[in-house]
Amino acid sequence: MGKQTPTRREFLKAAGATSAVMAAPIIIPSSALGDDNVDAASERIVMGGIGIGNMGRGDQNSFLNRRDVQYVAVCDVRGGVRNGAKGKVDGKYGNKDCAAYNDFRDLLAREDIDAVHIATPDHWHSIMVIEACRSGKDVYCQKPETRTLREGPLMVEAARRYARVVSGGSQRVRQDYNGIVNKCWSGELGDIKSINVNVGPLSQPCNLPVEECPADMDWDLWLGPAPWAPYNSKRCSGSYSTSGNSWRSYIDYSGGGMTDWGAHHFGGAIFAVDLREMQATDVLLKDENGKKYVELVYPNGQTVTHQKPGKGNLDVTGTPGEKRDPKPEPQYKGTGGIYGDFIECVKTREKPFRDIELAINTMSAPLLAMAAYKLQRSLKWDADKVAFVDDAEANRLVDRARREPWQL
Amino acid sequence: MLDKAFETLKTYDWGQDRKQLKPIDEAVVSSYGDAAARKDLEAKLAAVLTTDVTYDAKQFVCRQLMVIGKAASVPTLAGLLGDKEMSHMARYALERIEDAAAGKAMRDSLGGIGDELKVGVISSLGVRGEDDSVNTLKGLAGSGNAAVAKAAVAALGAIRSKAAATALASIKPTGDTKAAAADASLACAESLLKAGDKAGALATYKRLLTSDPSKQVKLAATRGMLACSK
Repeated sequence: MGKQTPTRREFLKAAGATSAVMAAPIIIPSSALGDDNVDAASERIVMGGIGIGNMGRGDQNSFLNRRDVQYVAVCDVRGGVRNGAKGKVDGKYGNKDCAAYNDFRDLLAREDIDAVHIATPDHWHSIMVIEACRSGKDVYCQKPETRTLREGPLMVEAARRYARVVSGGSQRVRQDYNGIVNKCWSGELGDIKSINVNVGPLSQPCNLPVEECPADMDWDLWLGPAPWAPYNSKRCSGSYSTSGNSWRSYIDYSGGGMTDWGAHHFGGAIFAVDLREMQATDVLLKDENGKKYVELVYPNGQTVTHQKPGKGNLDVTGTPGEKRDPKPEPQYKGTGGIYGDFIECVKTREKPFRDIELAINTMSAPLLAMAAYKLQRSLKWDADKVAFVDDAEANRLVDRARREPWQL
Repeated sequence: MLDKAFETLKTYDWGQDRKQLKPIDEAVVSSYGDAAARKDLEAKLAAVLTTDVTYDAKQFVCRQLMVIGKAASVPTLAGLLGDKEMSHMARYALERIEDAAAGKAMRDSLGGIGDELKVGVISSLGVRGEDDSVNTLKGLAGSGNAAVAKAAVAALGAIRSKAAATALASIKPTGDTKAAAADASLACAESLLKAGDKAGALATYKRLLTSDPSKQVKLAATRGMLACSK
């Protein structure tokens, strides 16, 4: 008869006597090791969300339902929205662990968070993206990524300085415009001369009447860097309207349809004709039979027009009789659309499909057009200097003073 | 029409039809290139700021002066910097007025306004990017008020000239100001490198690495030093 196998207790006692390192068994939950539904904890990107309204909820869903994401925190200045967003996360994980913050700075201060998604009104995007980069977070920021021409380059600067993955958020560029994108990149339309975008309206000043502010709304923080104004439910509504019933309508928070849907349409157009790496140099305000439109001229001679009479949305002028060789079309990385692209790039440290620099270049198109419409004249733009050329008046529109204590 | 719009301004308030003021918007645009018309319009607008109209009316005026305001409007706007309700909108115009008088007026205001509003003025001085503000900001970087000190170093980073870089190098930031000063120094170093001053950039990066930096700053400074070696 051989030596009996020691009992578990005898084994541990012996091991403990001979090794100070031997520890009692640790109970390891299956979620830490990964299973069919979720990657191992060490492989998951820890995320939080800032601004969980209409678009924010959609973004939250997309990240929360990924097996390679661990969602740990939400932030919103509306208590009801914040609690609802927390509840969704807790429900997913079957616990009450999701943190809920009113102030985005508290979320960004957490060292355990790797990445954040931002879906606040546009006037907050630049400050939050830059602060997130300074805090060591990668960022998925909803479109339109910037509200002024000065903000964009500062966001790119922060991303590069701190080597952060920063993705803009237009899922439609690859989703809605595939037809025209394929035709352009395949060479079928020959040399692309011009593409037109039909989108609007421009945002307008807001003078809505005073309403009583709900008790669970931090109005001062909602306004943030924007000029002080009294609470009004339409002023801060997140509805997709740009005709006066939401913040998307108003200049202090948004560029209106020009930048809201414009981020998609200009995004699709500029991607289709491969102009994402540059900004226009000439912003020409033209008049055709009494109808004003803008023509943006790029350094390579290509143009992007806005509401050119007789042209449809993403209407391309090329040389179809002179086909050229196809170019390899940029694709999303990873799986799961633009969200998967972001997460994959967080892992690999590659630049995402809508890298912040490409997003800013894209957004410069509607912002430059808006300046020409406001001043009712043509302009010249120097992207390197972030300034209109020899035009002090136009340069006044490049940025606007932020309400204290907010600064970029 | 324009006179009627100015008359409307006297009682303008939240909830009223903004279209009533459209003639003023149009006059701002149509007066481009007509110095006399611009001067007259600017004076009319600035005069409203000294009357007892609502905040809503005054903020409308400041938005217009943001586009057409010049040195003539600076004293009136500067007079509002200490007003808790109007300080931001005064800066809305002052920050964008390229005339040096605007920057000087904002600097001059700092001694007489509270810390909360000081932060805003400091931020606007940073955006203006004038070297004339560097000494003032350097002094404020040592403020006992953390928000003021933090805003001052951030403003030096926004200016990011050689003078701003030198000022940041002489500051001993503590607490929250340390991270802001590091970011501002990185901005200055990048600006120096872009201008061809590799030695200046390298000195800044080396200083940052010896300042017990955060992980993010350490990595940024190390990458910066590598960029200097190219």
